[in-house]
Amino acid sequence: MTSKMRLESSTKQLLVLILALILIMVIASLVTPGFLTYRHLTMVLYCNTMLGILSLAQTLVILSGGLDLSIGSIYWISTMAGALLMVEGDTLLPALACLAIGAVVGFINGVAIAKARIPHVVMTLAMMISLTGVLYVTTGGGGHGRATEELIAFSTGRILDFPNISLVWILLSILFYFVLRITPFGWRVRAVGSNPVACRFSGIKVERIQILVYMLSGLLAATAGLLYLGWARTPYPTFQSGAGVGADVALKSIAAVIIGGTLFSGGRGGVERTFLGVLILSCLCSILLMAGLGVEWQIMLSGIIIISVVVVYSRAQAA
Amino acid sequence: MATFSNILTSAVPIALISFAQTFVVISRGFDLSVGAVASMATAVASVAMVHGVLPSIVLVLLIAVIIGAINGVGITKLGINPFIMTLCMMFFLTGVNLLIRPSPGGYIPDGYKEFLLYQVGEFPLTAFLIMVATAVVGSLVLQRRRFGREIYAVGGAPERARMSGINIDQTLLKTYITSAIASALGGLFIAARIGSGNAEAGAPYLFDSFTTVFMGGTLVTGGVGGYGGTLGAALIISCLGRILQFLGINIWNQFIVKGALLASVAGLQLYFTGKGRKAE
Repeated sequence: MTSKMRLESSTKQLLVLILALILIMVIASLVTPGFLTYRHLTMVLYCNTMLGILSLAQTLVILSGGLDLSIGSIYWISTMAGALLMVEGDTLLPALACLAIGAVVGFINGVAIAKARIPHVVMTLAMMISLTGVLYVTTGGGGHGRATEELIAFSTGRILDFPNISLVWILLSILFYFVLRITPFGWRVRAVGSNPVACRFSGIKVERIQILVYMLSGLLAATAGLLYLGWARTPYPTFQSGAGVGADVALKSIAAVIIGGTLFSGGRGGVERTFLGVLILSCLCSILLMAGLGVEWQIMLSGIIIISVVVVYSRAQAA
Repeated sequence: MATFSNILTSAVPIALISFAQTFVVISRGFDLSVGAVASMATAVASVAMVHGVLPSIVLVLLIAVIIGAINGVGITKLGINPFIMTLCMMFFLTGVNLLIRPSPGGYIPDGYKEFLLYQVGEFPLTAFLIMVATAVVGSLVLQRRRFGREIYAVGGAPERARMSGINIDQTLLKTYITSAIASALGGLFIAARIGSGNAEAGAPYLFDSFTTVFMGGTLVTGGVGGYGGTLGAALIISCLGRILQFLGINIWNQFIVKGALLASVAGLQLYFTGKGRKAE
């Protein structure tokens, strides 16, 4: 009985999300005519693909009860490594190298968090700062290297008038939707997130799941980095004073996950919600932009939006 | 001596902002908004100090109290995770700071700067006195005052604290207000050092505050620690910056060192105290 009721409330939440997205899109189309054209909507998808894949990775980590602040810097490390390695003209080997880098960084995060029990916020913050250093020591900042023509063609191309990379995002989302729903791994990820102690007693190797999740997160971030490389051709990492490189996109990914309604404490939520969360976040930002409000308003309002969403969700849960 | 003076003055903002973080970490929380509150202080000061120094200091501290209260109420009454609450506060404040001060600049009176950076010979007297004052206040409040002991109780064993009649919500509320005030004071000192307002001046201190708190022996799991260790760590971090600079290590390599330092400090303290295993 209770499980049925929970299912219903979570479906209700999903419907509310979709309604909210439609409402926001209607407002956006009132503010800017031409928002609801096929061309523009695919453009919205295209522009948010990288954030979408990063948020997908973040969803997995948050579902397992963790948090990955280093996701943005892994993304940039992979982009820059790819750009430097692809100068030779080879596509496949550098791409694999980038994915390997992402997985290795994720592995280090995972081991430190699962085995050494360093709190995830602290470990991934430290990783973000270290990677920022690595990035600038190896490249000296500024733009370096260049993506190969094949990668550029893939990242900017369209299949049946649908952007390739957005297709990758959607396919990955569908893949992880089923991984989380059907496979034992997905079930364990959510179990570890909701009650690690019970998991340990019931024989689930909690550490292994956590390490795997952080590796997956690194791998997905590196994938997003590669797709971005093909888009940007020669990437310029942007450094915000104080915060590490990629801090902005890491925080945005957390925002998207929370807006989607995945529980920050882990265990409940899913990638389909994050998909909607990313779209809601990006449409809201574009409305603000079109209304003539600058980046500072976006930053400010995203703080307020996240808090209100969290409060509303926790109230809905209590009710 | 000039180096010593430099180390001491650059340690002051670290010490003040770590003061904030120490209180919050002992209460088993996180405060990600410390850097943004410090930036807010520089931004507001650089705009308001035209109309007088004292009123603007009062204004900055008032704003800090409000920020701390919002953080505290969000965490206690609304039950929002401290990480999310202070992260959102950081977002919000960064936006507001950029509206107040879109580009670094503004007016900080010379008298204010000279007072805070006052030197006898080459000895930075005011900076030294501020350090002593924070040390005394920090240790006294944490060790001797009722409020301080309640923070330990709440951080160490919330349930037992509740049963022994401690008002947890009120303690946490006071903790976050203290944190915001200390960060704002750090920001006011930064404003004197850089002689202007900067919407992002405080951001690097968030990271340093974690390193100093953990290096100083305050446990990430809450309930254990103190301000003395944090203060020592703040001096070490400040020295470390100078040493790396003297060795000619470029700023980006320093990032690698600092990141590795934070991870290893947090890992080692858990390893030595055995708290890491106990958590299982």
